[in-house]
Amino acid sequence: MLSFATVRERWHSFAGGFVVLFLGMALVSMSVLALASARPRVPDRLAGAPVFVSAPRAERAEGSFAPDRPWSPETVTSLLGRLSAIPGVAQAVPERTFYAQPILDGRPVPSERGYAWSTAMLAPYRLIAGTAPRNGEVVVDRSLGLAPGTRVSVLTAPGPVTYTVSGTVDGPGVFLDDAEAASLSAGVRAIGLVVEPGANVAAIAKSATVISAATEEISATTEDKAGTPSEGSVSGQEPAFAGSPTADATMPPTSVTPSQKVGDVLTGDDRSVLESRDDERTRWIGMQVLTGMFVLSALVSVLVVGSTFAVGVAQRRREFGLLRAVGATPRQVRAMVYGEALVVGVAATAAGVAAGALLAPMLGGVLVDVGFEPAGFTVGLSLLPLAGSFAGGVVLTLVAVWSASRRAARVSPLEALREADVDNRPMPRLRWITGLALCALGVASAVSSDSEGAFVMSGLVAAVGVIAGLALLSPVVVPPVARLASWPFTRGRGAVGMLVRENARSSVRRTAATATPVLVTVGCAVLITGMVQTTAAGFAAVRATTIRANAVIVPDGTPGLTDASGGDSSLFSAVFEANGDPLSVLGATPELLEKAGDTSGPLDVLRPDDRILLADWLAEERGLRPGAVLPVSFEDGTSARLTVAGTVENADADALVSRDLLRRHDPAVLADEAYVVGAAADPGPGARVVDVATYAAEADAEEDRLVWIATLLLVVVSTAYAAVAIVNTMVMSAAGRGRDLEVLRLSGATPRQVRGTVAAESGLVVLLGAGLGLVVALPALFGIRGAFAEAMNAEVPLVIPWPFIGGLIAVCLVLAAGSAVLAATTKVGH
Amino acid sequence: MGGSASLDAMKVHLKAVRRTYGMVAALDGVTAGFEAGTLTAIMGPSGSGKSTLLHCAAGLDRPTEGTVIVDGTDLGTLNEHGLTVLRRERIGFVFQAFNLVSALTAEQNVALPLRLAGRPAAPASVRQALAEVGLADRAGHRPNGLSGGEQQRVAIARALITRPAVVFADEPTGQLDSETSRQVLGMLRGLVDDHGQTMIVVTHDPVTASYADRVIFLEDGRIVDELSGALTAETVAARMAGSC
Ligand SMILES: Nc1ncnc2c1ncn2[C@@H]1O[C@H](COP(=O)(O)OP(=O)(O)OP(=O)(O)O)[C@@H](O)[C@H]1O
Ligand SMILES: [Mg+2]
Repeated sequence: MLSFATVRERWHSFAGGFVVLFLGMALVSMSVLALASARPRVPDRLAGAPVFVSAPRAERAEGSFAPDRPWSPETVTSLLGRLSAIPGVAQAVPERTFYAQPILDGRPVPSERGYAWSTAMLAPYRLIAGTAPRNGEVVVDRSLGLAPGTRVSVLTAPGPVTYTVSGTVDGPGVFLDDAEAASLSAGVRAIGLVVEPGANVAAIAKSATVISAATEEISATTEDKAGTPSEGSVSGQEPAFAGSPTADATMPPTSVTPSQKVGDVLTGDDRSVLESRDDERTRWIGMQVLTGMFVLSALVSVLVVGSTFAVGVAQRRREFGLLRAVGATPRQVRAMVYGEALVVGVAATAAGVAAGALLAPMLGGVLVDVGFEPAGFTVGLSLLPLAGSFAGGVVLTLVAVWSASRRAARVSPLEALREADVDNRPMPRLRWITGLALCALGVASAVSSDSEGAFVMSGLVAAVGVIAGLALLSPVVVPPVARLASWPFTRGRGAVGMLVRENARSSVRRTAATATPVLVTVGCAVLITGMVQTTAAGFAAVRATTIRANAVIVPDGTPGLTDASGGDSSLFSAVFEANGDPLSVLGATPELLEKAGDTSGPLDVLRPDDRILLADWLAEERGLRPGAVLPVSFEDGTSARLTVAGTVENADADALVSRDLLRRHDPAVLADEAYVVGAAADPGPGARVVDVATYAAEADAEEDRLVWIATLLLVVVSTAYAAVAIVNTMVMSAAGRGRDLEVLRLSGATPRQVRGTVAAESGLVVLLGAGLGLVVALPALFGIRGAFAEAMNAEVPLVIPWPFIGGLIAVCLVLAAGSAVLAATTKVGH
Repeated sequence: MGGSASLDAMKVHLKAVRRTYGMVAALDGVTAGFEAGTLTAIMGPSGSGKSTLLHCAAGLDRPTEGTVIVDGTDLGTLNEHGLTVLRRERIGFVFQAFNLVSALTAEQNVALPLRLAGRPAAPASVRQALAEVGLADRAGHRPNGLSGGEQQRVAIARALITRPAVVFADEPTGQLDSETSRQVLGMLRGLVDDHGQTMIVVTHDPVTASYADRVIFLEDGRIVDELSGALTAETVAARMAGSC
C-alpha cells in the first residue's frame, strides 16, 4: 500500500530511476534479442539442396576465421561420382564461387560474387529470360537491367573480361559456365545434392554419410600420391607440424594422417555452417559489440539507479523517521524501499522491454548497415530473451537499491523531528576505503607502467582506477575543488556570485551528485576516444615510414585489386599442412617486399617456384632448417612439396612464396593494394591511385571505422546515462530546495537573479566535473602515447576529438543548467 | 514528585536519566513518575531539555545513563526491533509539525500504525477515530489538502488508534490559533477524564498547561519545580515568571 502510494505521490523522485531503467532495459532487451537472433543462416543460394557434403571443419580458436582445407580435385571427382550414384539424387553439384563484379557505366556494381552456372540449381533462383551461359557468356541478376545479347565487362581476378549476357535470373550474382567458373575458383569445399522430387532425403543423407566416411582410402592415397612419397625427407625434422598457432594441441604427432572423414554431411539447419567466413567474422564482431552494449547498459543502470535511489532516500529521511516513530521497524522501512523499487522496476522494465521489442527490428537494419551483422540479418522476437530481460531488469533494480534500503532502515525516528535536513552526513567508511583503494591502484599502475606491450593496459587501468576512485570520493574531493574553482566569483560585488559559491560548497551531496557523472563521462570519453584515435594515427604514421613507393593503387568500390591493376602487389592466402592446419601465406616478389614493410631475409629465393620462406618464429617453433621439405596443399586443393629456403623477419604472414606460385594455386584471391614507383598508369575501373600519405591514413579505414563506431556507441550510451543522472539530480534537489529559493526571493532577489544563481551554480558544477575528468584522463593519454611511440619507434601524434568532447560537455552544461532553471522556475513560479 | 504514588500506578517512570550531546547535558539526572489517567505538562525555557525528556520517555531516543520504564517494561532491555514494537503498541506520539506521511490520505495515515503492526485496520474504527477528532468528513484528504490544525488532529487520531498506554505530545498546539488550540486541548482532556488515558505534553503555553493535572518545570536539564491541583493559566504564568 505505502510503496504504491509513495511512488504515485513522489513520482518525481522516481522519474530518474524510471528513465534510466527504461533506457537500460530497452538497450539490454534489444541486445539480447539481437544476440539471440544472430545465428548462422543457410545461405539463400544454397537453400535449394536439402543435403550437402562439406570438407571437414577444423577446430578453430575463438575469433579465428582461417579457412578449412578444400578437397583435392581427385577427391572432388571421386565424391561427385559416388554421390550422384545415390538413388534419388538428381545431381551432385560442387559449390564454386569466385570474384566477378560487373562494371556498369564505368563503376563496379555492389554485388561481387560469381558462381558456376550449375550451382544455380542449389538456389531457388529461376532463369527469367534467355538461356544458360556457354563459354564467353554470362547470366546476370535481372536487377542490373541488362537484356540478353548485351555485352558487359566483368572484373575477375585476372582482370576485366567482356562477356555476352545470355540470360537473367531472379537472384544476386553472376553465373558463368562451369568450366570457366572452375578456372576462376578456389578448391571445392562443399557439394550439394539436388534430389529428385519425392526422394527420401534422410536415406540420401545416410548414404552420403557412408560415402564420405568410406572414401577415406581414396583420399589418403591421392594425397599420398601428390604429397608424400616417402617420409625420409622430413625425418630430419621434428616429426610433426602439429603445433601451428591454431592447431589442436591433442593432435597425434604421427606424420601425415588425413582427418578421420572425407566430409561432413549437412542437412536442414546444419547447412548454415556453409555461410561465408566473412559473414561469420562479421557476426562475431557484432557479438562483441552487442555483448559490450548489454554489459555496459546493465552495469550503468545498476549504478545510476542505485545512486538515484540513494539520493531519494537521503531526501526522505524525515519521512522515514516519521514512519519509524509511528512504529515501523527497520525491516519494514527496508521492505518499503524495496517495494518502491519493485513498483518502479517492474513498470520501467516492462516498458523498456516492450520498447526494446518494438525497436529491435530497426536495430537489425542498423547493425547490417554499419557492418556489425552480415546482410540478411534480421532480429526476430522470441519469448525467452524478452522474459529473461524482464526478470533480469527487476533483479537488477533490487540489487541497485540494496545500499539505499540499508541507509533508509538506519534512519532514527528522531530524524522526523529535525527542523531542516542538514546536508553534512559523513561518507560511509566502505566508500572511503574503496575510493582510496581504486585511486591507489590507478596511481600504482601509472607508476609501474614500464613493461613493454602492456603500456596501453596499464594506462587504461591507471585512468579508469583514478576516475572510479574520484567518483567514489567525490563528496570529499569536490567541495574544496569547488571552493578553488569558484574563487573568481568572489571578485564581483554581486550577490549571485556569493550565492553560487556558497551553495556549490555547502550542498555537498548535490554538487557531488552532479559533478560525478560528468567526471566519469568526460574522463572516459577523452580517454577512450583519444586512445582509439591516437593508436590509429600511430599505425598510420608507422605505415607511412615503411612504404618506399611513389604511389599506391587501392581498390575503389571493389573488395580487392585484379592482376590487371598494375603496380607491385602481393597475394594473401592460406596453405594447409598435411594435418589440415592452415598457415597464412603471402605470395610476393622481392621487388614488392622492398617497397613495403620491413620484411627482411633472403628474399631473392622467392624467384624460383618451389621455395617457401618461413617466419622466423614459426621455423624456430617447428625446428625447420633451410633445405627441409614442407608438404602443403593450396586453396585449390592441389598439393606441392616446397623446400624451406630460409627464414624472414617481420613478415606479415606465417610464410612467403612466390606470387606466381600462389596465383597458380589460388585463382580467386585479390590483392589489397599495389605499389607504384614512378608515374602510375591508369589502373582501370575498380581501382584508383593515391599518394602514400593518403594510403597510410586510409588503410585499415574499414577496421578503424568499425572500432570508431563501437567507441562512439559506448560513449554515447554512457553520456545518455550521465545526462539522466544530471537531470535527475537537478529535479530532485529542486524539490528539496524550494524553501531556500523562496527565502532568496523574499530577501529581495528578482526571479532573474534566482534563475541566474541556479544556472551559474549548475554550470560551475558541470565544468568542475569536466575539469576533473580532463585532469585525470589527459596525463594518462600522454603516457599511453609516449609508451606507444617508443614501442613503435615512430612519432605518434596525440589525437583527441575535441569537437566531440566539447559537444559532450556542452550537452551536460545545457542539460544541467536547463533542468535546474526549469525546476527552480516551477518552484518559485509566481 | 510522584514519590507518594505506588510504582504500579506509574505508567512511565524515569530514574536518574542523563542524556548528553557531546559536552552538553540535555538531561542531567531526571527522576520522575507519571501516573495512569493523568495529564502532565512539561514546561521550561527553550533548550531546557523538554523535548529530550519526551524522546527518552517515549523510546524515540536512548538515555546516556539511567532507566526508563514504560507500562512496566524497562526500555533499556529492548533492542531496536523490540523498542519499535513497544512504541507502536503502547505509545502514541504527536509532534509539533511534520506529522503525516504526505503520500497517504488522512484515513490511511490513521490506519498506519495498525497496518505496520500487522493488525486489521477496520475502516469503522478508523472512521470512529477520525470522528472523535471531528474530521469524519476529511477521511479521504491528503495532508497537503488539510489545514495545520486538521493535520494535528489527524495525528492525534493516529496516536490514539492503537489504544496506547501513554500518549506523548511535543507542543501539539504550537502552530494552532487559540480557538483551535482550545478544541484540541479540550479533546485531549476529555480522553484523560473519560477513558483514563495517560498523557504527557510539552508546552510553552500557560493556557495549555492549565489543562494538566500537574506541571513539571525543567531548567538546564533538571527538574526545578512542579505544580499540581487546580491549575489556571494565571497560576502557571505566575510560577513561570517567578522562575525566570
Ligand atoms: N541532536 C542534538 N545534538 C546536539 N545537541 C542537541 C541535540 N538535541 C538537543 N540538543 C541540545 O540539548 C539541549 C536541550 O534540547 P531540547 O530540544 O530538549 O530543548 P527544548 O527544551 O525542547 O527546547 P525548545 O523549547 O526550544 O524546543 C539544547 O541545549 C540543545 O541544543
Ligand atoms: Mg523542543
